[in-house]
Amino acid sequence: MALTDQAFIQYSRQILLADVGEHGQNIFSQSHVLIIGVGGLGNLAAQYLAAAGVGQITLVDGDTIERSNLPRQLLFSVEDLGSNKAQVAAEKLMQAYPDSHINSLQHYLTLDNAPEIFNARQQFSLLLDCSDNFSTRQLINQLAIEHQVTLVSASAANFQGQLLSVNQQLRPDTGCYHCLYPSDMGVSQSCQTVGVLGPMVGTLASMQALMSLNLLLSLNAKADQRQVSGRQTQVDDQPLLGQLYRFDGAKFTWRQAKLTRDPDCLVCSA
Amino acid sequence: MINILLNDEAVTVAVGTSLTQVLERQTIALNGVALVLNAEVVPRSRWSHIMCQHDDKLEVFSVVAGG
Ligand SMILES: [Zn+2]
Repeated sequence: MALTDQAFIQYSRQILLADVGEHGQNIFSQSHVLIIGVGGLGNLAAQYLAAAGVGQITLVDGDTIERSNLPRQLLFSVEDLGSNKAQVAAEKLMQAYPDSHINSLQHYLTLDNAPEIFNARQQFSLLLDCSDNFSTRQLINQLAIEHQVTLVSASAANFQGQLLSVNQQLRPDTGCYHCLYPSDMGVSQSCQTVGVLGPMVGTLASMQALMSLNLLLSLNAKADQRQVSGRQTQVDDQPLLGQLYRFDGAKFTWRQAKLTRDPDCLVCSA
Repeated sequence: MINILLNDEAVTVAVGTSLTQVLERQTIALNGVALVLNAEVVPRSRWSHIMCQHDDKLEVFSVVAGG
């Protein structure tokens, strides 16, 4: 599909990149990204993806905008207080980035309403975990495995941030979120209890968006290769999949580790 | 005795000390942390089966769930 002149100008700085080009821009425009949680992470990740020309984004959040959200949820302002986060974010993003169609589901993700989101009409390119609690993160992981979607999970609280991506079809050896963090784990830190600085969340959201754009390109390149070669190949050239990145926003250190499948994992090894 | 690094700090442990025993000695709650050994995550179910080696680099950290 040829880009319009206007699209070519608007996205020229990313089309200039050898790894993107017109082909990559078309991949972005044909992608549908599901974002669970429209707080600090979801605000900025959604904005970067919409601004990059991702064709369709679905935002899911049942939460309403509160005054204490404003320092880090930059799409929202005082006049939005009391409104639903997914709805307001979708409206503002569609106004700013008309190439991107944004759906908003104005309720929290639950096991019961998941079939409404993951139905036969929807084929998600990526699932972004931008939620703010451990039980939702476990549910998102479970749904990503069940529906065979690549999961890009980011989190931030206090001065700690974590980012990982997993896909059971492409990298079964690196396991899932539950292999790293079993659901019986004790969780002490949340933004409500320990606080967080806006740019701390923004850093992780930016990295999550950057990882997502990279994955859209590389996963599609791999799919093209499979079509050409006509066989399913093990993806061993996906350097971002199956890695855990941890950022300390006080010491400014990044640490990287390879994820490992837990042979006893109740979620991905069942 | 062998020397390991636990979150960048030098720690001395006896030969044959498992990852579980390292955490217990530091009074770290086993169900509150994840563990990286030499840049690879070790799932909790494996901790008691893996013995520390000289110069092992251990990173122990909590889940961050906020966003
Ligand atoms: Zn697993």
